[in-house]
Amino acid sequence: MTPETSIGFLLPLAVGVAAVGSGLGLGRAVGAAMEAMGRQPEAAGKIQTAMIIGAAFIEALTIYALVAVMLLKP
Amino acid sequence: MNKFLMPFLALINTTEHGEALTDTAAHVAGHAAESQGLADTLANAAGHTVKKHAPEFPNIIEILHEASQGQSPLINFIYEYRIVVFSTVIWLFLGILAYFAYRKRSIIPGGVQNFVEWVVESLAGVVTGILGRDGRKYVPFIGTLFVYIFCMNLFGLIPGMFSPTSKLNTTLALAICVFLYVQYSGIRNLGLLGYFHHLAGSPRSAVEWFLVPLNLPLHIIGELARPVSLSLRLFGNIAGEEMLLAIFASLGVTLLSFLHMPIGIPLHLPFIFLALLTSFVQALVFTLLTTIYFSLMSTHEEEHR
Repeated sequence: MTPETSIGFLLPLAVGVAAVGSGLGLGRAVGAAMEAMGRQPEAAGKIQTAMIIGAAFIEALTIYALVAVMLLKP
Repeated sequence: MNKFLMPFLALINTTEHGEALTDTAAHVAGHAAESQGLADTLANAAGHTVKKHAPEFPNIIEILHEASQGQSPLINFIYEYRIVVFSTVIWLFLGILAYFAYRKRSIIPGGVQNFVEWVVESLAGVVTGILGRDGRKYVPFIGTLFVYIFCMNLFGLIPGMFSPTSKLNTTLALAICVFLYVQYSGIRNLGLLGYFHHLAGSPRSAVEWFLVPLNLPLHIIGELARPVSLSLRLFGNIAGEEMLLAIFASLGVTLLSFLHMPIGIPLHLPFIFLALLTSFVQALVFTLLTTIYFSLMSTHEEEHR
């Protein structure tokens, strides 16, 4: 197996693994935010802002994996 | 600082000077063995040879550049600076919009003025919601960032155009602007000594002063990591989104390649709505994170009261 083949085989897998992690994290974060909004609808705006920022931090990890793929692409 | 940014400068060079850009149609058509006629049609239409690159929609300047065969110096110049040219189109549009909204203003707003006032008030509401009343002076900077980034993200969805934010040059430039302004506002609000006190983790007690050698490098690295993460997030999201659209569009073309006609199924249609959402959310995230960096820099003293 040449290095190009192994990179081509493993890079999509790496993004997939990263996406699983941030998918789990996003699910927890958004679920908790929805629950909080259900309990306190009057604070929905603030919760939403905090949720979007948190979601951005979580999904940034997958984006880093994607950027690595773009850089290493054979 | 310089050493820290080296890999990213190298990255800019590769994205900027790396050979003529990609062309999905030519790329895919080249791989579809049986559709030689289609390959010729598409490769001629876009005027590209098959190259190994990320799939991307062709834009007007690239097509012009290929059509002129690199003979016209003006088109070569525009091609070299195509990212700046597309951003210039956007800020000219925004400037003209602002001029028309401001020129004929009345007590009872209507039309353009109404829309612009709504945008400004919503942005001011978001910013002052996080920064408090003192945050009003940052509203012009942060609001401009939001509107500019949002328009740049959406620009790639117009056929023949592309998003300047899908290149690291643009996003890194924006993030460095944010970084410098945040540091400036920190020095301005806290004073030079207060700024370094803040960077050292605001030590009060003897134990905290003892931990300064540990805290100071951590805070400095944290500050320097912000523009990197800010720019990479926007760049990765928008570039990934454009790539997704291009891949699905090329898949739609490949599916009908047995017809030997330049037509395809618009398989990327559902992802356009996803792209609309991503454009808005990423512009909002960039803006909100900028606001939070400002709030971390200015209200640190009040937290300890």
